[in-house]
Amino acid sequence: MPAADDHRLRQIDAVTDAALAHLDVEDLLVELLDRVRELLRIDTATVLLLDSSSQQLVVTAASGVEGAVRQGIRIPMGKGFAGRIAAEKQPVIVERVDQTNVLYSTIPEHGICSLLGVPLLISETLIGVLYVGTLDPRRFTDDEVGLLQIVAERVAFAAQSRRAEVERTAAAVLQRSLLPARLPVVPGIELAARYVPAENGGVSGDWYDVFTLPSGWLCIVIGDVVGRGLGAADVMGRLRSALRAYALLGGDPAEVLGRLDQQVQHFEPDMMATVLLAMFEPSLERLYLSSAGHPPPVCALPNQPAALLDVPSDHPVGVPGGLRRRTTTINIPPGALVCFYTDGLVERRNISLDASLEHLCEAVVAGPVESLCAKVITQLVGRDPPGDDVAIVAVRRQDSGGIGPFDLVVPALPWALRDIRLAVRRWLSAVGAAPRAVADLLVAVGEATTNVVEHAYGPAGGTVTVHMELQSPDVLATVRDTGSWRLPSSEGRGRGILFMRNCSDELCIDHGRAGTNVVIRRRLTEEGLQ
Amino acid sequence: MTAAKVETSAEDGSMHITLSGEIDLANAAVVEDEIRAAVSNQPTTVSVDLTDLTYMDSAGIRILFVLASRLQALRIVLELIVPLDSPTRRIVELSGFESLATLRPGSH
Repeated sequence: MPAADDHRLRQIDAVTDAALAHLDVEDLLVELLDRVRELLRIDTATVLLLDSSSQQLVVTAASGVEGAVRQGIRIPMGKGFAGRIAAEKQPVIVERVDQTNVLYSTIPEHGICSLLGVPLLISETLIGVLYVGTLDPRRFTDDEVGLLQIVAERVAFAAQSRRAEVERTAAAVLQRSLLPARLPVVPGIELAARYVPAENGGVSGDWYDVFTLPSGWLCIVIGDVVGRGLGAADVMGRLRSALRAYALLGGDPAEVLGRLDQQVQHFEPDMMATVLLAMFEPSLERLYLSSAGHPPPVCALPNQPAALLDVPSDHPVGVPGGLRRRTTTINIPPGALVCFYTDGLVERRNISLDASLEHLCEAVVAGPVESLCAKVITQLVGRDPPGDDVAIVAVRRQDSGGIGPFDLVVPALPWALRDIRLAVRRWLSAVGAAPRAVADLLVAVGEATTNVVEHAYGPAGGTVTVHMELQSPDVLATVRDTGSWRLPSSEGRGRGILFMRNCSDELCIDHGRAGTNVVIRRRLTEEGLQ
Repeated sequence: MTAAKVETSAEDGSMHITLSGEIDLANAAVVEDEIRAAVSNQPTTVSVDLTDLTYMDSAGIRILFVLASRLQALRIVLELIVPLDSPTRRIVELSGFESLATLRPGSH
């Protein structure tokens, strides 16, 4: 090799070194291509990387060819000049470019006359193509082919390692963005969740999700997509959205998982995931669960040892030919806690699964959820990062003693009435109000909030605040606005105030300058004072 | 959004309307329109079944009062089916509806 070329190769080595470590993969490749043009005294240089999912070569970096990257040119394997190099994994030389030996008009447009291309290989696996072109006719020598192959090795290595790094970062960002930033606030329920990434820093397809439905049901999802890295995180994101949408359509957990299964089998062939869907009915008294191959949750009743819930496991989603899915119903008394987890929590080297599950049951108690999550992670994972990602979600139905007052601020609009009713119903059920008291308070609070919606504000609107608190043996409900009530204009509204009065033991309507305060007092027991 | 279902059936000169779901200010107008569209001047009796209605306040009661006064003018008998333990029994009792329609605890 001539001394001058050896010198230029050292320049390429320098380009792959730490000095340019801050460049992303595209910028790094452009830098390399500029050096290649100088080294071989050619006019254009282009890198195409293989998009493995579509099996197409994508123009990723170019030097001397304006706009080639922006056009997003994609070339199928085997087609044209670059496609042929990729298919044959051999260098290809074209001395005179014409319509028969190149596929895309982009090359002739730039007046390219001769081309030399080599495959980008990582241990015999193709990751892309590197080619150079000249405006004048050129006969490439064997030495030049050899030189370009040496450059290709460096380009392949840089592209591969950078791409892997970018994918790792993207997967971590994607996964973080897909996990709920904040869990919903549901009166009567305490929620906490933890996510512990694996020791190698990569990501897996573990996910959890907690959301409420318009019907007042509370859904808890925990799942694990088979596979790792960006692909698994990406599929996880789609499954999460699909599951939310299918839950919105209604049905029990088995039906919802059935729809998800169909979706995965059709749109994500070769993918498989375990998922557990648990749905609390609005009163929070019962939990409905269906498991698609996911480990069973642990349940602890107050002052009792925890045990695995008896939830039969049906086939994972994405597995064709499964039998009918089942939904299991479990009674959840006040104070009970349920802990959901992914298998990373219980799959430990040197410890059998049964022993791990036993440890988990020993760690779970019906107590505050945040400290429980911390305890479970400490006792089962320890201080060292786990070998696999771990996700856990702990849910506890508050006992009536632990239920604090509840506040809700919503726009004073008709659609909000239903949300208010759901929240009030849930809170009343949590504090153990008798059915008759629940019905009375729903009407009293319903009429008071309807008055705010209809009469408190002008077209600019405003909010209605509902505050509920327990003053044993009574419930005190306060409905507040910051407007001024117009006089009831119809017979119907007059009836509303009559209902409020009849459904409460004590009613106080205070029209102040800053707004109206309605205070409703009603006994928790079946019969009111009246 | 509050949701209610209005289902109707007719037999031998009587018309049955079954209400389910919830009725409040948000959907009262829609429910009223649906009931109005369903009732013709043909039946001699109209029965409204509230058994599966889980919530109703003065917005729903107003619909029933308007319906009752229309039917009275048409000389059509109105019956309300409200079982004793149904969620809307109390509000119907409080409204004084008994003076306008027959209250029945069950459909048969």
